[in-house]
Amino acid sequence: MNRITVLCFGASYAVALGVELVELLWPRPVQRLIGLSFATAGLAAHTLFLAAQPLALATQFWSTIFLAWILAIFYLYGSLHHRRRAWGVFVLPLVLGLIALSLTFDRRNGGSVDLWGLLAIRGERFWLIAHVMLLLLAAVGVCVGFVSSLMYLIQARRLRAKKVPALGFRLLSLERLEAMNRRAIVLAFPLLTAGVLIGTALIAQRPGQFRDWTDPKIVGTIALWLVFALVFFLRHTRQVAGRQLALLTIVAFALLLFTLASSHPIVLGGPR
Amino acid sequence: MNLLMVGCAFQQTPIHWRERLAFDDALVNPALSELSARYAAEAVILSTCNRVELYVASASLPAPPDFDLLVEFLSEFHRIPVSDLRPVLSSRADDEAVRHLFRVVASLDSLVVGESQIANQVKRAYETAQRAGSVGPALHAIFQHAARVAGRVRTETGICRGHASVSSLAVDYVRQVFDHFGDKTILVIGAGKMGELTLRHLRALRPWRVLVANRSAEKARAVAAGCGGVAVSWDKLDEALAVADIILSTTGSAQPIVSRERYQQARARSPDRRAVILDIAVPRDFDPAIHDGDLVCLFNIDDLERIRAQTLKARRKHVQAAEAIVDEEQSRFWREWRRRRDGPLIARLTADFEAKRQAILQQLFAKLNGRLSEQERALVEGAFRLLQNQILHGPISALTDEGAPEGGTHTLREALRHLFRLGE
Repeated sequence: MNRITVLCFGASYAVALGVELVELLWPRPVQRLIGLSFATAGLAAHTLFLAAQPLALATQFWSTIFLAWILAIFYLYGSLHHRRRAWGVFVLPLVLGLIALSLTFDRRNGGSVDLWGLLAIRGERFWLIAHVMLLLLAAVGVCVGFVSSLMYLIQARRLRAKKVPALGFRLLSLERLEAMNRRAIVLAFPLLTAGVLIGTALIAQRPGQFRDWTDPKIVGTIALWLVFALVFFLRHTRQVAGRQLALLTIVAFALLLFTLASSHPIVLGGPR
Repeated sequence: MNLLMVGCAFQQTPIHWRERLAFDDALVNPALSELSARYAAEAVILSTCNRVELYVASASLPAPPDFDLLVEFLSEFHRIPVSDLRPVLSSRADDEAVRHLFRVVASLDSLVVGESQIANQVKRAYETAQRAGSVGPALHAIFQHAARVAGRVRTETGICRGHASVSSLAVDYVRQVFDHFGDKTILVIGAGKMGELTLRHLRALRPWRVLVANRSAEKARAVAAGCGGVAVSWDKLDEALAVADIILSTTGSAQPIVSRERYQQARARSPDRRAVILDIAVPRDFDPAIHDGDLVCLFNIDDLERIRAQTLKARRKHVQAAEAIVDEEQSRFWREWRRRRDGPLIARLTADFEAKRQAILQQLFAKLNGRLSEQERALVEGAFRLLQNQILHGPISALTDEGAPEGGTHTLREALRHLFRLGE
């Protein structure tokens, strides 16, 4: 039943992406409306799917599906805000990729939490949820940074080659993309730092600490934090070209994918 | 419809003739009033730098307005002898005139294919004629349909994509780099005429300030005064380079004035500051090696000319699709026009036959006085209705025949009115 629903909203997003691609080649006013309709329908189904069951955000499946949901909202907002710009062709593949990635994961509800009962939660369980939520929100920032960086690199490449601005798809300006990337990093870095600190404290309280520290998810998260710290440092202290910062953000996104694909040690082991 | 277009365009007519025949804002209204009063016709005057065209139509008169009469009108209005004027002008009637207007508004007949100005110029000409009261049902229908053609060609083909002027392309590039301009500084180096139009386009972006640097302080002040900018002395050029976001260079210098090293030194205090350099001077003022496509984007006149040529080449690929839309809309226009024009006549004809059929049937049923069953009555009624439809099928088909010439259907309408005594 769950799989059918995931395929349903995944298919809606896929159709929306198809329409966006067709619009790039044969623009018609009606296509935008069709694309937005499918994406909205997909988001509605996606929202119902998340609302219908308790979220186990620490599991790979639910964290990926939740991240895809936030990015789908980001896509809709951007489509309405940046009319007549190639937007969906960058954001929707990311949404679809995350949905596809989620389908490869085990969907067991280990560590599932009723978010409505969050206030009643105490102790380690609360900190676990805080840790997962902070990292997921940071992941949204990483994804937004990735999308803006990808667009930045393409736009910079076109400007470098002095290509005809009107031919090909329309992108946001370098200044806008850089600002989007900067905001994403400024949002994501503190969240990531707080999430990592809470996670460190949680692991430190557990037995068999050494094994936890070498877990791929932990290693990936720490590497992600280090890359982000580097981006944050370079952006605010050194004069680095936008292209290099964009490349580093893409590296951070690759680490995020690796981290998402790795299972959570605390969830696997079960909370203490 | 009796439509006639008389005029001239850049393809056949030299500019001095177009200038003599042009209707400026002050002349258009008197000309429209004179045309409609003198020939009892609807009129629209399209006067641009590339064409002067009079569209004259009548939805009710049997004959189209005469070419000679319109030449005479233009001759009197502009005080040019008819003999001089006649070879300069050309005309198109009815279907050809509609097609011509649709091609004009779709910018297929423009000097620069795909330019977007013409659609607005046609719209303005129509609105002016509307205000002057010289537009009736025929020209309303044609010009409203023309606006639809322009919209379809613009949205369904790529013929209008991009800009075809160097100054607009320069602004396109600036927009690829910058998002907002309220905090941007434009630096104008030199006072070349070529830069004036580009600067006008850049100022439309509403930058924070404009700095003007020139070897001659007097010229710098003059240019600055003309664009609401601030003059900067030539020896402070490096300081201006350091704070500029958009640089427009248009000097007449025989040697490049800003080398890569000089630029890097000038920007040393803010090396991460983004800049777009529009070097439209010949010879070039800036070293092309400054361009990195990230923090500094430099476009010189060759780049902009090359991109202009590519844009026009890309537009030409869409001409066929745009022509297909014109063909399609031309057919649709005539279908809609005939329906609108003949609808009332067909309705009257059908109503007249209907009334007569009902009257005859009532008389017949009264004479038979109940000797028919309900089924037999229905059969008789059906037979009469079939007869009516078969009688009317011929005239209605002839009237709505799409292939029939415009004059032919006018005669037919008159014949139908007389034959069936339908009145006006």
